[in-house]
Amino acid sequence: MSPVIGRRQFFRLGAGAVVVVGLGACDSSSTARMPTSAPQLPGTTTPGASAPTVPGATVPSTTEAGTARQAFGGRRLVVVQMNGGNDVLNMLPPADGRYRDLRPTVALPEQDVLALAGVSDMGFHPALAPLVPMWDAGRLAIARGIGFEVPNRSHFVSMDRWWRADQLTEPGWLGRVLDGLAGEPPPLFATALGAGAPVLNGATAQPTVITGAASFKWVDFDPSWLAAMGEGGDDLAGLARHAFQRTIAAVDTFAEITGSTATSDELPGREGGATITDGLAVAAQLLTADAGTQVVVVSASGFDTHSNQLATQAELLADLAGGVAAFTSAMEAAGLADQVLLVTTSEFGRRVAENGSGGTDHGAGGGSLIVGNGVQGGVYGEMDLGNLLDGDVRPTIAPQALFTTCLDWLGADATAVLGARDDALACLRG
Amino acid sequence: MEERDAVAWLYRRAAFGLPPAALRTAVAAGATAELDRLLDPNGAGSAPANDVWDDERLPIDPKDRPSKFYAMTQWLDALAGTERPLVDRVAWMWHGHFVSALDKVRIARLMVGQARLFRTAGLGSFRDLLRAVTLDPAMLVYLDLRDSTGSQPNENYAREVMELFTLGEGNYTEADVKAAAIALTGWRLQQKVGVRFAARDHDDTPQRLLGFDGVHDLDTVIDTLMAQPALPQFIARTVAGELLGVTDEALVGRLADVFSASGFDVRSLVRATLAEGLAGQTAPIVLGPVAWYAIARRVTGAGAVTRDTLSLLRGAGQLPMLPPNVAGWPGGAAWFAASSLVARSNLAALVAATATDAEVLAAAAGDDISVLADVLGLPSTGFAEQSQAALSAAPAGRDRLAVALITPEFLIA
Repeated sequence: MSPVIGRRQFFRLGAGAVVVVGLGACDSSSTARMPTSAPQLPGTTTPGASAPTVPGATVPSTTEAGTARQAFGGRRLVVVQMNGGNDVLNMLPPADGRYRDLRPTVALPEQDVLALAGVSDMGFHPALAPLVPMWDAGRLAIARGIGFEVPNRSHFVSMDRWWRADQLTEPGWLGRVLDGLAGEPPPLFATALGAGAPVLNGATAQPTVITGAASFKWVDFDPSWLAAMGEGGDDLAGLARHAFQRTIAAVDTFAEITGSTATSDELPGREGGATITDGLAVAAQLLTADAGTQVVVVSASGFDTHSNQLATQAELLADLAGGVAAFTSAMEAAGLADQVLLVTTSEFGRRVAENGSGGTDHGAGGGSLIVGNGVQGGVYGEMDLGNLLDGDVRPTIAPQALFTTCLDWLGADATAVLGARDDALACLRG
Repeated sequence: MEERDAVAWLYRRAAFGLPPAALRTAVAAGATAELDRLLDPNGAGSAPANDVWDDERLPIDPKDRPSKFYAMTQWLDALAGTERPLVDRVAWMWHGHFVSALDKVRIARLMVGQARLFRTAGLGSFRDLLRAVTLDPAMLVYLDLRDSTGSQPNENYAREVMELFTLGEGNYTEADVKAAAIALTGWRLQQKVGVRFAARDHDDTPQRLLGFDGVHDLDTVIDTLMAQPALPQFIARTVAGELLGVTDEALVGRLADVFSASGFDVRSLVRATLAEGLAGQTAPIVLGPVAWYAIARRVTGAGAVTRDTLSLLRGAGQLPMLPPNVAGWPGGAAWFAASSLVARSNLAALVAATATDAEVLAAAAGDDISVLADVLGLPSTGFAEQSQAALSAAPAGRDRLAVALITPEFLIA
């Protein structure tokens, strides 16, 4: 690649300027070293009235954490990115005979479909049973037929359009928000779990990427050697130096949060056995530890079900639903349920008609779930099998509508971030 | 570039580096001679292509975990120990281009078969390579062509062969995906038989593909792809990006012309690409963890792959045979992700702990940091001020060597 990083700005972290922060939410009394780029300012660290209180937690007393506390009014956003193109039709099976006509072997058996209270034209995949209580409580919104009006069935073009809100010369839409924050946020402020998350890449902001929880630590390597490198340079080497300094701080903070509990290295991503449930468990740890994490993207793959779809997707959706239910419980237990919004994304839905491999090929409209106490439950968008687009679910709700909802949740200016608001998925309460 | 830096550049970019004594020998021969030798190792009297996998350790069993570790370990050791480093470097490039992945393919023997294809045919005719990749058993599983039948074609391979393997997005339509999928139906994979064509599963109806009529089977699909002006451009851009870090249109155009004129000979394309690099067409490239590891091992004489190596490479984000998706590894600054840097630092310590090259160890133990840069094959500009500070912070010896291996100067070629 040709590095185009001339416009990057680097924030110098004073190598010696560390403060000791107690993280009372951890079960240890150990301390974290967090670099700070500015003198500690009394009074800036007190959480606002709407900020969450974690029982037993000591508020991080750094300027950076104070900035984080002010960001987004204390609200958090979790994005579960289901890579590969999740099939919306089997996730939300329509009560339409054409569904089973076009999928003689891949459609869900009618008797297996879970009914959703108040919804007559579709149900739930049985693996989504853990989400039914959220639906019944009015805390789950469903965006069906979500996708770009003129779809692209390439994974990579479509993912890029989702990440960049269809403005392909701009950075990730969440990265744009991060770019706008004052100062350098805490190292785990925006964290990608399982794999990198380009949606969090700004012009300058970068998420902290943690692909494995247990391996995110120094072994026979003293990070103070790297700390001596410091920062500087407006080129790839400078980018590497900056990344090393951020990484040193992130490992310290992560060790404080997870303590000795991170024994498994399984995070979703690619290699064997890793699940969304594991990723959301780490996300819950980050959020409840109150170390400044406010945006998390959990990436999972395997949704590209060209073959063997029934078994594969059932496993993936069970993982998703179980993970979301456990995450929601953890947020409630921590008193954070009112502060967290969770949304799911996937780059496209899949072809209505099955192929010969017990699977389905790339399609257009997909489905997103929006979960949280701040959500007004309901179904948004349409999936009309009588009005297909080249054999695919016709997109009826744009991804920008989901992004607008997320930005509204964070209190960000959706018009400024996206260029224009899209209020087709206005599912936030109050 | 000075001759020494030219040779060092050539080896770090295209041949997994050289330990100090071998680098001096290569510098004495000169970059041009070395390029010839690297491109034609047999002609230069090097060892013949060696197969590094023993099929007896590769049972046809998707649940057999030892065979998966074995398959990866042998490939990594081959990259670090190869006597045909450019051939192996190009094979590694094709693995990131014609992607299959063990998590879906599941049987390590099939992934090994594909790696063998890249190692034996990776520098030959692109048409032959493309045809062989299409019918490669691992690929037939990974992109589902083995299941694609005339009555219900599977579009997975048809799309990715155009988007990622030959033409690039925007150079085909959805109608082309459907047409290619139909023409490519009928190929089956059976355990005892291997790959076979089942006429009853094939739809031979002539299709219109990319402006050509009458496309109806594998060879007419390949012919049609090879006739697209986008193909030499796309492959030249891929190779130039991989080896030079430069993909401007003028350069890509020149390389595409060479590639076309050669009858799509990969060796000619690679030669022209590296000649452009030696002439100054080069920009910094972040080495991926595997190429970086292979270089670090070759340069320092470090020990063989262990389970720890594999888990650290996994943490670094790059295990052979497990690319994250069909587009391969993202690369570039994505390699500066926190998890990746932590794992690479830990792996650098592991490499340094087993280093054996006497010159490298002496330089790491000594006071002159410019000597360390020199023996590690870095450009004669040496370590930047910031890296010197880090190297000074580490105790002299293997700790300092570990730091040297993850300085920006070593990570970025």
